[in-house]
Amino acid sequence: MKKNLAPIARLFWNALGIAILVFLFGASYRVTQIDFPRLVRDAYKARDFVMAFLSPDVVTRDVETTVIEMNFPVPCGSAPEAEMPDSGPRLVTNVPCAEARQTFILEGFDLLPNSEVNVSWLLPTGGTLRIGRVTTDEDGHFLIEVEVRPITAAQDGVPSRITAETLVPVGPLKPSQALLDVMREMFVTIFMALLSTTIATIIAAPLSFLAASNITKRGVLGTAVYYIARSFFNFIRSFEPLVMASVFAFWLGYGPFAGSLALTVVTTASLGKLFSEAVESIDSGPIEAIQATGANRLQTVLYAVVPQIVPDFISFIVYHWDINVRISTIIGFVGGGGIGYYLNEQINSMVGYHRAGTAIWAIIIVVWALDFLSAEVRKRLT
Amino acid sequence: MKTKAPKRPSPWLAGALSLLLPGLGQIYARQRYRGGAVLIAFLVVLGMVAWYGQPAWYFAPLGIWLWNVWDAVGQAGERRVSVLIPLLLGLTAAYSIGWQMVRVDFTSANWERGLAVLRPMFRPDLFERRTELNRMWTPISVPCSTTQEAPPARRQDGEKLAFATPDCAGVLETVIVSVSGMWPDTDTEIWWETNIGDDKPLGGNENAPLIVRTDETGSLTTTIRVPSTILIAQPDPTLQLTHRIYFDQRRPIGGLQFSTNGGFVVKGMTESVTMALMATFLAVLLAIPISFLAARNLMSANPFTFAIYVVVRTVLNFVRSIESLILAIVFVIIVGLGPFAGVLALAVHSVAALAKLYSEVIEGIDPGPIEAVRATGANWVQVVRYGVIPQIVPPFTAFTIYRWDINVRSSTVIGMVGGGGIGFYLIQWIALNDMRAVGAAFIAIAIVVMTLDYVSARIRERLV
Amino acid sequence: MLRIENLTKIYPNGTRALHDVSFEVQDGEFLVVIGLSGSGKSTLLRCINRLIEPTSGKIFWDDIDITAASPAELRHIRRHIGMVFQQFNLVKRSSVMTNVLSGRLGYANPWLSLLGIWPAADKEMALKALERVGIADKAQSRADALSGGQQQRVGIARALMQDPKIILADEPVASLDPVLSHSILQYLEQLNKDGLTVICSLHFLDLVHRYATRVIALKDGVKVFEGLPKEIDRAKFKEIYGEEAQEVRAASFEAEA
Repeated sequence: MKKNLAPIARLFWNALGIAILVFLFGASYRVTQIDFPRLVRDAYKARDFVMAFLSPDVVTRDVETTVIEMNFPVPCGSAPEAEMPDSGPRLVTNVPCAEARQTFILEGFDLLPNSEVNVSWLLPTGGTLRIGRVTTDEDGHFLIEVEVRPITAAQDGVPSRITAETLVPVGPLKPSQALLDVMREMFVTIFMALLSTTIATIIAAPLSFLAASNITKRGVLGTAVYYIARSFFNFIRSFEPLVMASVFAFWLGYGPFAGSLALTVVTTASLGKLFSEAVESIDSGPIEAIQATGANRLQTVLYAVVPQIVPDFISFIVYHWDINVRISTIIGFVGGGGIGYYLNEQINSMVGYHRAGTAIWAIIIVVWALDFLSAEVRKRLT
Repeated sequence: MKTKAPKRPSPWLAGALSLLLPGLGQIYARQRYRGGAVLIAFLVVLGMVAWYGQPAWYFAPLGIWLWNVWDAVGQAGERRVSVLIPLLLGLTAAYSIGWQMVRVDFTSANWERGLAVLRPMFRPDLFERRTELNRMWTPISVPCSTTQEAPPARRQDGEKLAFATPDCAGVLETVIVSVSGMWPDTDTEIWWETNIGDDKPLGGNENAPLIVRTDETGSLTTTIRVPSTILIAQPDPTLQLTHRIYFDQRRPIGGLQFSTNGGFVVKGMTESVTMALMATFLAVLLAIPISFLAARNLMSANPFTFAIYVVVRTVLNFVRSIESLILAIVFVIIVGLGPFAGVLALAVHSVAALAKLYSEVIEGIDPGPIEAVRATGANWVQVVRYGVIPQIVPPFTAFTIYRWDINVRSSTVIGMVGGGGIGFYLIQWIALNDMRAVGAAFIAIAIVVMTLDYVSARIRERLV
Repeated sequence: MLRIENLTKIYPNGTRALHDVSFEVQDGEFLVVIGLSGSGKSTLLRCINRLIEPTSGKIFWDDIDITAASPAELRHIRRHIGMVFQQFNLVKRSSVMTNVLSGRLGYANPWLSLLGIWPAADKEMALKALERVGIADKAQSRADALSGGQQQRVGIARALMQDPKIILADEPVASLDPVLSHSILQYLEQLNKDGLTVICSLHFLDLVHRYATRVIALKDGVKVFEGLPKEIDRAKFKEIYGEEAQEVRAASFEAEA
């Protein structure tokens, strides 16, 4: 009896399905080199980045720099030793001169209290060698141990000098260079999205009618056009804008133009598909009704077709603008310009983490705001 | 009691107010939203132009300002005023400035270069014809040593004999190489293998293969130059070591096989799809419990749970607005290059996206069936099993498959920042100008993404 | 016998849905509860199987105090009280069979039921129940593939699976057209004739006159009438439905009279 076999067959198919799934996940687990212990063990590596992200470079203050310096001959006798004053802001060493690879103690007195001091060597060649960054106590005193490097040797009787740069922030807070850069790049990013969405709309709107079955799919030629348009949209749509952008950037050179063009191409396909679906879902009732009044073709389109599709079209356009802003924030990673390019540069420069933090915050805020705005607009439309 | 009749706003006053501050006159004429919108539009356009800094563009905010005065007068007089003028002004300014900031410049598009980029992509490097390899090699000593006699640069293998003269040579010196007993009248690639196994081409400027044809007896003789770069990694460049010169002949034996790059395409695509699968799986595990915390109807019972709801929702929105590509950078820093970083990035982004969708499903549960199951005397586990789960599983599954679909798309690019998958190879091929391999990658991406798109759409159609 | 004593329900937002309602239902009765929307009919029915906890008052069923039952006891009691809903309350994405079987949950082995495994006897019983309401051929369809009348029959079949002594029907025909209403109520009438007690809330007076053996009327949570269907005259109708009662209802009442 067939009826009694059914549960066994179902059990078999279920078991087979589960076995395939388990196998797939097992294989995926191997292929993707999942290693959670490493994630936990090496989580500290992200500390610098996360800390920088939490303290983005947003504001700055003008810095007033005061410099004091002293001669320090290496090795001893190669140049006259410096006199050490006993009052006023001054640098004092425990030895007047030193040989290479020796260590001595450098102290500063009566500097500005509680401020940051950059201590470095000023080499006879004109170059500088950083010693370190110290903070003075409330008496304006600091102490640092210095190891003498061979490069600091005096040349032709001109000794290296030790300099102490005191940095004092003065004046009001003002936006930092990073913030200004990020804002400019953000402008570019938003305009990239705006331009590409607009151009894509202009191209996609007429093309979408070709891919709408109720309009085009008539006769052999129409059917062929319909399928070609459909496949074209689907084919282009299957590439992420970043993939496109990497090729466009290779062709046109790095910059927002390449990014916008790549974005335009993908958006055209995506909008074309959405538009064509909107056209397909038109209610034929109003068309009949308008035709029944004796209207001509153009009037029918204007009064029966356009009013039906415009809200959908606008909703899709707003939605895509939102998506495109998201994508343009990262398209710069492959050379597409905008904030992504800046972000990538800062991340790769190692010292730019704080600036990268500023960029990421800007992205989050803009994406969030546009997400909200586009959702509101679309809610109004439907 | 006599109520004061509402006084008609004076057009003059409205105009004057709007002249003072855009939108103020409209607000005075009891058009609060219009006034606010005018003010915001004016400020946005003004800000944009001020930012751009070209004085000529100030005509746009100026025009909006003048229009606004006219509009205020019209509003006070209850006359309709079209918003077309300020809309056009604003859009013109936005598009012109945008056009220049994006540096649109079609003249920069070098069409020849475009074709050079595009043409190889139509000959994708995915398959090659299966071939049979006929290989021979001879040892050679580099460099010549004053203290040590070089062993003969000669090797016999059955019929085949290969030799080089002299037996030893220094960098960039010329060597005569010969081989015999190979297939007759066949192209033979000659290349150098260093003592540590590095391959060096011998043709062109040490950057192209050297190909010589054998004669009808299957022998060839030619001169080569010892490559300049073979000693770079050697600590002591005077030490004499044995390198090899290879002679490779190939002939088709019918059929096709994956080319080297084709193999990488398959590997990269496999990685991408499995990354997406793994990321979706991990995301589902986390998103299901989180989605219950993010469901308003479950969490609004008391202030404490409501606070949790608000926090969870905020965090989800926050994470959702960080693209997975940016997350991938962070994870590459932690776990290094490779698919695992990509999996983590995709998973974190997907958790946020899925938890939001799931929680909306939970918020939309129909309480009717739950009541009905409770009325049969079921305990709460049974209520969940028969009243809740059947309602949420199909949409959960549909959203999960949809997410997998999105993740497969994303995983094709996440490799571009080191997250593994096809993007990792793609970005390198582009940097190396290997557009045939890029073409192969494009085809693979299109096939996989379109197939999954179709399959997932079908499954979702059946589920919902 | 079901005895309701001084039942009061006040919702947390302060709405007084039931106020001091008392009545008795003899075994084998077809009791109809009438009243305007919001008069407390649904609350009253849901208090009987404690889907809604009454604020005060008692409900006795054959001297068992339902209001005092522990959760486990309550589930045991609920097994014998089937319920039919206005919106059918089927799990729309599950099959008809699963929906009907879920009526057996109070009896089923909890673990097996979690895995979706049911005894053959229960399946047999479910098919019989579906046959009884005339839709055995739809057993494997998804619930949302059925029409409204068919869905309500699934709802009745689900209630039958409980082997109920009482059936609570909350506006079972309010979402259906008049012809279907009669067919659904005829199923309930048949069950009533087979010995089940039916407590049913209804909207339309003509249906009340046709099916009820006794009627209770609620107005703003207060019982304003208890008696035989034929005792409801025009004056009573106005008292129950208010002065501004729809003329349609009045007309239907006059047609009955």
